[in-house]
Amino acid sequence: MDCASLNPMPEAAAFRRPPSEVMRLARMGSAHPTRLSFLRNLLRRVIEEGWTFDRPVWEIDATGVGRAVYRATGPDRTYSLVAFAHDLPDEMRSDRVIATAWDATFALFDGEPTSADLDRLQANVPLQEAGRVSPLELTLSRANRSVRLFGHVIERLAKGLQPDMAEVEAVGYLMRTTAVYGSGKFGAADRAAIADRPELSAPFQAEMLSVWLTRQFTVDIAEHLAFVRGGAAAVRLDSAIKKGLGVGNSTGLGMAPFLVRHPVLLNNWMMAREEALARVRSQDGASAEAVAGFRTALGEARENAELWQSSHPIQIEKLAALRDDLSSLADRISTWPERNSQKPWDALWHWGETALSLEGQEALIALMLEPNGDLVDGLADCMTADEGASFRLDGAMTVATLSASLRDHYDWVLGIDFDQPENVARFWYVSEEKLEPRLGNRFEEDGASLEQPLCIARLAQDLHSALAAWPGDVALAAFLLAHPEHRFMARRVQILHRYPYAEVQDNLIAEQMLPIDLMRCKLAFFGASRFDPRSDKWVRISLFQGLPYPSDMSPEGWP
Amino acid sequence: MTAEQQEAVEANDPTRSGSPVPTTNGARLSQNEIEQLCLKAARGAGMSWGLAEEAGFAAAWLATRGLDGPGALLAQLWVGQGRSWREICPVIAPGRFRAADGGGLCPIALGAALCDHARLPETSLVETAVRVGPVDHPVLLLPFLADFARTRREGLRLVWSRGAVLLTADGGMFGDAAALEQETRLDAALEVEGPVPDDTSTQWEPLMVSAETLGELNSFALRITVPTSEVSRAGAGAAIGDND
Repeated sequence: MDCASLNPMPEAAAFRRPPSEVMRLARMGSAHPTRLSFLRNLLRRVIEEGWTFDRPVWEIDATGVGRAVYRATGPDRTYSLVAFAHDLPDEMRSDRVIATAWDATFALFDGEPTSADLDRLQANVPLQEAGRVSPLELTLSRANRSVRLFGHVIERLAKGLQPDMAEVEAVGYLMRTTAVYGSGKFGAADRAAIADRPELSAPFQAEMLSVWLTRQFTVDIAEHLAFVRGGAAAVRLDSAIKKGLGVGNSTGLGMAPFLVRHPVLLNNWMMAREEALARVRSQDGASAEAVAGFRTALGEARENAELWQSSHPIQIEKLAALRDDLSSLADRISTWPERNSQKPWDALWHWGETALSLEGQEALIALMLEPNGDLVDGLADCMTADEGASFRLDGAMTVATLSASLRDHYDWVLGIDFDQPENVARFWYVSEEKLEPRLGNRFEEDGASLEQPLCIARLAQDLHSALAAWPGDVALAAFLLAHPEHRFMARRVQILHRYPYAEVQDNLIAEQMLPIDLMRCKLAFFGASRFDPRSDKWVRISLFQGLPYPSDMSPEGWP
Repeated sequence: MTAEQQEAVEANDPTRSGSPVPTTNGARLSQNEIEQLCLKAARGAGMSWGLAEEAGFAAAWLATRGLDGPGALLAQLWVGQGRSWREICPVIAPGRFRAADGGGLCPIALGAALCDHARLPETSLVETAVRVGPVDHPVLLLPFLADFARTRREGLRLVWSRGAVLLTADGGMFGDAAALEQETRLDAALEVEGPVPDDTSTQWEPLMVSAETLGELNSFALRITVPTSEVSRAGAGAAIGDND
């Protein structure tokens, strides 16, 4: 049985925004984390199920080198983050995939590792991409220190003082991860091997657990080094300051193609969020409790928007708009909900559509979902995807039906003139040197003949033209036998037939396209905040900022 | 880090985010790694993106059943070198999938075509078997026949002169798959199967892929990568330093 047939609120469908509105890069690039984001889903589960956390191994020496194990025990299974702490000279610190050394490296182990497991991991995990892990590991990751804040925090704590708040707020994290690999990468367990476990069936739960335990490690190692340096004079980090620290994350183009390569998954994420918004909008009233919750969430969002910093011109402009938007929203809700108003949430949404920037509108979604958990949290279970089930083409579909489906779902493609240089200005490729995805300029760089199939708009238009030359009653099977080059796009069109939010509706090779828009959308679904572009292809964010730590949930598990 | 580990790092180029699996001794690959590596290799060998996806799917499907999908695909990629699509794709008549010139069909092209026709009259199977072939590296057909059986919700038997394999609608596989792995080209027939045995699925172990297979698949995969230029290097990272 699928989620659609279980939907308790079919009436909400009328309030859903159409894909033509939602699946645009400018809007996706303004996405905000919501309570359906994957890290929030993880935290809800561990709280509801009463998971416990502890740190059974802490073998870190006075120079901050060694290993540690963080254990997460749920109702059915235990997972352990195995952490290796290194001593990294400053000149070797890089966030790129091309880096060869990190301040700390991690693997999430499926169960409780023996000392033999730890030794095996110690020989491989610090090497990251150059090592191999096994199906006993669910993730492989690494993190670098924020040299500035990490050093400052240790120095202050060692002297018995708390860090300077301006320093803390300027950075927001002690360490940032630069890659968190899951899903069978480097020999780790395949997604298929864990997808039927309730606690891991939602997307990226193993990765989120790994990062959350890493957040604990970043504080533990800083306090450890402060005590080494300061001895009896040293103090622990103040709990309020600690709560305000997230785990940073730094990511580049490697993440951008993901949403294009996983259309069904993208649909299910978007559909769940859009259905959540629609459910809230469709309500006849707003309870006093929900209204109060909305006001609280708005207050927190305004605080977050003040602390959110970026030096990138695009984001500076968007942040200014967001702060204005949240201020207008605060004014607007001073009298909301109006007495006798019909569907007050929908009225608020319609107001936002005209009064707010895209950044503000997408923030409004998060705020409207926040006090309506009972209505929307179950949708988190609908965000996974069995991609294998949608892989097989239906060759019995006629050319006419596929063509009509293309016109329905890809109407935005048909008007693009690909003879205009600005519409084909870029091409996606994989670099021979690093095997990392990159974006080239078609008219200035070599390699366009090796273009990756991320130029969906052009592929769709090509398919549409090819189909037009065939009689409508011919089966797609016969067309594909003559045109194997259209098999890739025909599969996507059939997917769109069933999954309307599966495709980004913008030309991904256009001159003005911003890869960071794709990245922001994906990162918002993870639950990332403080989106801070470092270029149009590279971004830093923060995870778990303002949320509890494992040690908050099991204080007895920590020394 | 020991000297040996240091050497391993350099030998394996730690800077790669793709599939830098150690090729000196072979490696146990996850399903995802096999699928991705084989997709890239198939594309590098000249398949269309859509067929390369089918190749990745097929290799990973076989690997999860203990069969050397990557090895079979690699052998097929070599066989297909220099042959046009017309030579290796099936010509279809009711009850018959063969190559235009009577040569060996590509099992990926044949398998995909069979699945595309699973609900069409060309594969009715009601009265008679469908004859296929000659087809090269026929073990690569099995993943497609499994999907065919699932689509049709009935068991399907691949029969050739020296054996038979049964694929069930729920993904089970019985019979002489290991013998089929040894065949490099054959003619076969597809028959509908009546009642089928229960699936006796076994625990999956990651497939050990030989150093030679990995090395050659990697070589094919590298054909779709673009040599680095200063421009591409410069655009790849942050515009400002990471050391803050």
